[in-house]
Amino acid sequence: MNEEYKNKWISQLKKGTLPFIVLSVLRRNTYYGYDLINEIKKLTDIVIAEGTLYPLLVRLKNENLVSHSWVEQESGIPRKYYQITEEGKNTLNAMKDYWTYINNTIQSI
Amino acid sequence: MKFKELTFKDQHTERIYKDYISRVKNSVKSLNSDNQNETLLEINSHIYEALQAPAENETTDLLNVLQKLGSPEHFLKELVPEKKLEEAASSFNPLKILKALILNFGNGFSYIVFFILYVLLAGFIFMIYSKIVNPEQTGFFYTNATSWVLGISKNYNPHEKELLGNWFIPVMILLTILFYVVITLLLRFKKKFLKK
Repeated sequence: MNEEYKNKWISQLKKGTLPFIVLSVLRRNTYYGYDLINEIKKLTDIVIAEGTLYPLLVRLKNENLVSHSWVEQESGIPRKYYQITEEGKNTLNAMKDYWTYINNTIQSI
Repeated sequence: MKFKELTFKDQHTERIYKDYISRVKNSVKSLNSDNQNETLLEINSHIYEALQAPAENETTDLLNVLQKLGSPEHFLKELVPEKKLEEAASSFNPLKILKALILNFGNGFSYIVFFILYVLLAGFIFMIYSKIVNPEQTGFFYTNATSWVLGISKNYNPHEKELLGNWFIPVMILLTILFYVVITLLLRFKKKFLKK
């Protein structure tokens, strides 16, 4: 087996599914960045360079799939909470349908 | 919202933190001040929240948090073009739009099309200048349906007719404004018109 090739493929797959995972996690609740990373770690075995999550969140926001709001904290360090939009929920449903389709296709090969 | 620096007991830890924050500031300085501040606040919040469950000593904890976050020069390199696009789409500033387009070349064919439209727009402005310094050879020259020139025609011949005359500059101004508004609006509504 070509271990190196397999690992590269897994890493590409994980990277590709990250927006899907972020949207799925945000459908359950609203989270701020650090909290969202922990939730993703808890639910999946995906280890991400944490900083890369922030550009992804900006991209999802530009695509109108998530929105955010700043919430002041007693500590004086505000948190930026992300929530999924209606468009985000609809897009996620369509992504889930496609995921099921591709999964079934692969199973049947 | 104002950026509030975190404080540390150990001065070496404080130096590591300040150095990281200044790298974040440097990496986003091409953004407008609101976006610079927002990015800084969010990274600072990440560091603060991550330090709420201390594991070892202050310095090691901070180093671990920063290592997991990654180098700001690296991960903010992806964030800046996205934010720039957002800034360009909400303003009519031509320099901002041009910068955002160049930064987003790698993000899809649509941005290259936008760039070409922008170059055409610059061409119309150049035509106005050219008409002023070289009025005889600049214009809309028409010989027949298959042979016409909008711009500078050096091979001026009697069969070629310049159609716009004194209207050339007003028409170029109109085209410039039209292209400018169309490009900016298209960019603004890109999500609806052009899916990446």
